Amino acid sequence: MKIDIHSHTKKCKSGDAPTREIAPDDFCEIIQSTDVGIIAITNHNVFDLDQFTEIVDIMDDNAQVWPGVELDVKEDGVRGHLIVIVSPQMANEFFESVGKITEGFTPDSFICTVEQVLKIFDDFNPLYVTHYKQKTPNLSDEALEKLIAGTANPSRVIKEVSNSISAGIYISHGYASIYGSDIHDWSTYEGQACNLPDLRLPIESFDHFCLLLEKDPTTINTILDKKVAEDLILTPFEDSTLLKLKVFNDINIVFGPKGTGKSCILMAIAKHYLDAGTDARVYESASDRLDELFDTKGRDLSLNLNSYGINYCKNEIEAIREASEVGITSLSKYEIYFRIKSTSKNAKKIKLKDIEPEEEGGAKREFLEFNDGVKKTREFIEFIQGHPSVNKELSTEEIEEVTRMLSSLLERMSNREWDGYTGWKEINLLNSAIEKFRTEIERKTGSPAKPTTTGFREYALNRVRIEANASEIIKSMDTKIKMLKESIGSLGPNKGELELRTEFKFQDGTITDGALNKLKNVNKGSQKTFAKTVREIFKHVYEDDLFQHIANLNAIDDVEKIETVYELLLFKRYFALNDQPYSPSSGEASMVMLQKELEADKEVYILDEPERSLGNEYINDVIVPLIKERARAGKKVIISTHDANIAVRTLPYSSVYRLHGPAGYTTYIGNPFSNNLVNPNDENDWLDWKKVSMKTLEGGEEAFGERGKIYGNG
Amino acid sequence: METVKATVVELEEKNFIKIEIGDEEINIPISEDKPNEVKSAFNKLIARIKEREFEIKLEDIGQDLFSQVASEYITQLNREIQEVRGEMLGYGLVEE
Repeated sequence: MKIDIHSHTKKCKSGDAPTREIAPDDFCEIIQSTDVGIIAITNHNVFDLDQFTEIVDIMDDNAQVWPGVELDVKEDGVRGHLIVIVSPQMANEFFESVGKITEGFTPDSFICTVEQVLKIFDDFNPLYVTHYKQKTPNLSDEALEKLIAGTANPSRVIKEVSNSISAGIYISHGYASIYGSDIHDWSTYEGQACNLPDLRLPIESFDHFCLLLEKDPTTINTILDKKVAEDLILTPFEDSTLLKLKVFNDINIVFGPKGTGKSCILMAIAKHYLDAGTDARVYESASDRLDELFDTKGRDLSLNLNSYGINYCKNEIEAIREASEVGITSLSKYEIYFRIKSTSKNAKKIKLKDIEPEEEGGAKREFLEFNDGVKKTREFIEFIQGHPSVNKELSTEEIEEVTRMLSSLLERMSNREWDGYTGWKEINLLNSAIEKFRTEIERKTGSPAKPTTTGFREYALNRVRIEANASEIIKSMDTKIKMLKESIGSLGPNKGELELRTEFKFQDGTITDGALNKLKNVNKGSQKTFAKTVREIFKHVYEDDLFQHIANLNAIDDVEKIETVYELLLFKRYFALNDQPYSPSSGEASMVMLQKELEADKEVYILDEPERSLGNEYINDVIVPLIKERARAGKKVIISTHDANIAVRTLPYSSVYRLHGPAGYTTYIGNPFSNNLVNPNDENDWLDWKKVSMKTLEGGEEAFGERGKIYGNG
Repeated sequence: METVKATVVELEEKNFIKIEIGDEEINIPISEDKPNEVKSAFNKLIARIKEREFEIKLEDIGQDLFSQVASEYITQLNREIQEVRGEMLGYGLVEE
């Protein structure tokens, strides 16, 4: 959730841009389209109660709207802006007070002193937000001191600076600082809103926010107690010392100098969760494992050809390998038949033997066609009548109408199916009878029967089938498989997204790319010869040497391993950046491995020095947002780190600090909100979280400089 | 349907069925058993079946033995050619 302590809804002064004007409806719509959960309306020298009330009504509970005003203050001849924000519960009284102080002035002419502001508004216990330094027109240091000295709540005076970096710098020097949108043009607000400060802790109200500003321990503990957490009792060290930890479903940091046992604590936490059956292991950066992690060698790689509509061609390959030449009818049989026909009297008497067999293939095909049609129509009727989706879309009458038409079609097709079947079987029976009679006459009379077939049909169909099978195999081999691209992770905004690419190709007889690996354990040479030979078979299917090519196929080494076209697959797996193959450096390998770890769906993430080999920019821009995202999803993130970018910028709910001093090892536990790190064995032994972080962590001061982006601690 | 001419010819005392398709001659030996030559002729016929539908018509049929053999052979062959063409259509292998 974000906070905006400085916004305008009206053009009050003549110098205000007209684009500051916004209707309540539009205001609420824009705010709700952003992550802003708290917004203060702070127009120049004006508080419009009616507009405020209307906005609060429309906004309902979707965001908190706080009443405020941005006043022109003049001290020692210097004019500056001072924002006064009060509790929404006091909006009516605040309206009267703003009216009182600005009475007799226009927004352009109004000017007042710090003393007047304190006199009129300090009883509201307001939040004072002063323009400071580069945020002009700014209040002088003297005017600011006067304000702090005069108010009953000095902790509620916050300096408004121009951006997050400035805010962080002032925070690191002990000044409460913040920044708001100071919106000039509402059409740009959505874009600006993402840069507004984040609220790390949930803020329930204006008063709640003020208590957190004062680091009120009760308020902080109440918030932390509401957060889901688990108490762990660990024995991470060799001396069996017990360590009691509260692990939040959020970010938990273990930090301290090297050699103080941070990794031991992580191991103990991992063991605790593993023993409880939760997937938890300590992530350690190991850039040399990148290829193994992403299986670039393809050891576990597989592909389902069906999902690409590719036939595996198991039956086709088997049929071609087993194909053999079909014999034909010897011409001498005809010659003998006709030679003897004229001399055998008995044979002459029997005319049935001379009836010609009929062609039955056509009748059979017609029957099979209607047989298939009947089957599919019947299935479709069952689908129409029983499928929930049809019942949802069609009325009972419509289903009946469709069913009636389909039933009529089914009946007609069934009749044709039966006619086809009987027609086919009649021919089949006749041909069988002719064949039988001929055989019997041949046997009884001693004269040969007339051959019933030249053998052409079986001879040709054998080759037709070989052609059909070879054609199907070639069709599969020639199918192009789309390259698989998997986004591995960002190498930072300047470099782009690293991809893992997997190219699959069938060895079609032409591929010579040595970078392609075989997917299955079949010799690459055999794959190529196989593919080429199938093409030769296809090419020579109606030539005399066809079976020589089939013999060649069966003679290929490893041919028995090629049961399907899957065994002809080749692959190449590699990393790519900006569409070019790319070898990630060890630092980049660490980046993507850490991203992969954080993107895995787990309940507990345990990271041991994730910053290792990584640059600050990458940690800030990629890793810290990922860690926060996991935390927002209610996951436990436990990180051991030396890096302030992680330990400070994430504002962890729990910080464990390990120290080795004269008295041996000491553990301190605390958080940045209370700014304390307390020795659980001695409550009087405590450290300042901010000071320890700045001193201990690499990049500590810079991190505090940036941390103004996150408003949870001053 | 196209009609393709066939005749019984005698060459060097051997009898053949000569089928003329386009500019190609396909010879089927009928006076002796030469299965490889018959198969070779069949292969040429199959290639033609892929291209178009046709029927072989035997011309100048005499009363001699080989004319009778050829007539019967062509009758059966025509029936089988139609069957094969039908199967080819089913497999989607005809060139049309």
